[in-house]
Amino acid sequence: MANALVEFDSVVKRFGDFTAVETMNFTIDEGEFIAIMGPSGCGKTTTLRMLAGLEEPSEGQIRMQGQVMNQVPPHERDTPMVWQSLALFPFLNARENVEFGLQMRGVDAATRRRKALEWLDRLEIGEFAERDVSSLSGGQKQRVALARSLVTEPKILLLDEPLSALDANLVIRMQSMLTRLQRELGITFVYVTHSQSEAFAMADRVVIMSRGHIAQVGTPKDIYRAPANRFVAEFVGRNNIISGHVKSATAKTVTLEGSLGTFKLNLGERPKPAIGEAGQFVIAADLVHLSASRPKSENVLECSLISEEFIGSVVTLFLEAPDGSEFKVQVQERELADMDLKHTDKIFVRWASERAHYICAG
Amino acid sequence: MPSADRSAPSLAKDQTSGGRVAHWPVFKYAMRLPIVIWQGLFFIAPLIFMVAMSFFVVRNYRMTEDFVMKNWLKMMSRDYFWDSYALTFGLATLSTIVVMTVAFPAAYTLAFRVSDSTRRWAVFLLIIPFFTSYLVRIFSWYVILAESGVINAMLSYIGLGPYVMLNTKFGTIVGYMTLTLPLVIILQTFSLANIDRSLIEAAHNLGCKPWRTIYRVILPLARTGLIIAAVFCFILSFGDFVSPYYLGGSKPPTLPILIIDTVKSGQQWPRAAVVAVVMMVTLFAVAFAGIASAYRRRGS
Repeated sequence: MANALVEFDSVVKRFGDFTAVETMNFTIDEGEFIAIMGPSGCGKTTTLRMLAGLEEPSEGQIRMQGQVMNQVPPHERDTPMVWQSLALFPFLNARENVEFGLQMRGVDAATRRRKALEWLDRLEIGEFAERDVSSLSGGQKQRVALARSLVTEPKILLLDEPLSALDANLVIRMQSMLTRLQRELGITFVYVTHSQSEAFAMADRVVIMSRGHIAQVGTPKDIYRAPANRFVAEFVGRNNIISGHVKSATAKTVTLEGSLGTFKLNLGERPKPAIGEAGQFVIAADLVHLSASRPKSENVLECSLISEEFIGSVVTLFLEAPDGSEFKVQVQERELADMDLKHTDKIFVRWASERAHYICAG
Repeated sequence: MPSADRSAPSLAKDQTSGGRVAHWPVFKYAMRLPIVIWQGLFFIAPLIFMVAMSFFVVRNYRMTEDFVMKNWLKMMSRDYFWDSYALTFGLATLSTIVVMTVAFPAAYTLAFRVSDSTRRWAVFLLIIPFFTSYLVRIFSWYVILAESGVINAMLSYIGLGPYVMLNTKFGTIVGYMTLTLPLVIILQTFSLANIDRSLIEAAHNLGCKPWRTIYRVILPLARTGLIIAAVFCFILSFGDFVSPYYLGGSKPPTLPILIIDTVKSGQQWPRAAVVAVVMMVTLFAVAFAGIASAYRRRGS
């Protein structure tokens, strides 16, 4: 379907002894909204900076539209970036900031001005065109930075945690604006963030990075429902991970026996594991059912309630499994009110075997 | 006893808070007093005295208190005064331009191209010249600039020279640079090093070539610090007596030399005061204009 715009071919980036990015292979398609997510120091920003030419790969190749970009200096690329700090020029007003990239490309003053004003209008800040950037609010500055990057009509836009300095309400509004903008323009957005909600809300595909490696690439839904490994399962949040040994396996399902009991689970796309192999599975906190009495079904865990966290319509219960490990459950507040769990010391958790996903050990 | 232990600190606390209310204003003014006394005694008072002195008269080689315009009219109407003024202003301006230009590549390298530890060492090395007396450093130029000095000796090997460098305007500029170059490099380095790197990267990212980035982004961002450096350089050069006297040969005299000459010839302290007041006014104007433009909000 879509053509590859950017290819990372065995890209390695080292800073002295420190390896920031290790043997990275992946492709970004034309018109795709891709989020690179991971904890701080995972190499996500370094990856973005390599795309902008601000860092040169130590090994491997980065190709854009088939052309090797390794040696191309930043000012000869058309890979505008929106900085976390926004990096607006304080000595220029909003319009002059937007004009900067056009001026560098030798566009005449009248065209420059017209295009800059068009973009400021499009991002609904036309009335602030002649204002100093220091007098603008966070959201307005954000829009100036976006206009400045988009005014040259690039094929790709790089965003380095651009929303991290904004308050929660504004983040939601900027997210919908970014998504709309990307659909309308049809260009590729590469969005680096540590925020799962930002990445999942906007991106077509998410790249999860951990210590310089790609941990998983997939749609937000894939990553959320079928984490490929323990790191992703833990990073993505409310997941429970249970370990054991493979007791039996078919092409589709695995039976895992561990200290908490015997569980049946879905194998998904993964190859069939050997009998006796150490394994783990993930069960998301919002895919389990609670009851006060022991249900007659597979995959049951007997727990006791430790604490609960109320965040509006959803409640997270922190339970303790018989071996002392924590088990998280998310339920609707209204469901919980019907259940009357306060007066029981035992809570039974059960889940359908197709909800649990086998992941590799380690 | 526990109760006594508890009451003792609380009592002490009451005392301090009570004491703070009672003595704080006195304490506050006492803290400010030294700087007020210092400024009053060593800056304001001499300044007033100097201005007053420029209206005094000299009779029989003795200065007498008076209020006459004679000193001012005399100095202002003399060509040699205005020649000297133009020379001093010109040399200080030229020296400032040369120093700012020579210092910039060095400061740029220290700010952007070297590691933090190299920059620390470089700043330390740039402070070392100030350990030695300026006069000593000026005299050391004799060895280098003299007609039989180091430079001319080297030039003679390739069949050039000897060139006269001592007792020329060139010598004066060399002296001014000895005084100001290390300081200007330090000030420029700090103002460049404080620039947010992401702004420079943003300029490159938007298609700005490295050379163009210097004048489109780096110079505007470092403007305040660079103007302050230039103002310092001008003030130090304009008021310097040592370089134009020993390396410039004092002919024609700069304003500081004119002050000395005026005092020596016939005890003309009042006329020297006129020169000094003119210099002060010039320096105030330059410093004020410089600082105003350094902190000016962006205009156009």
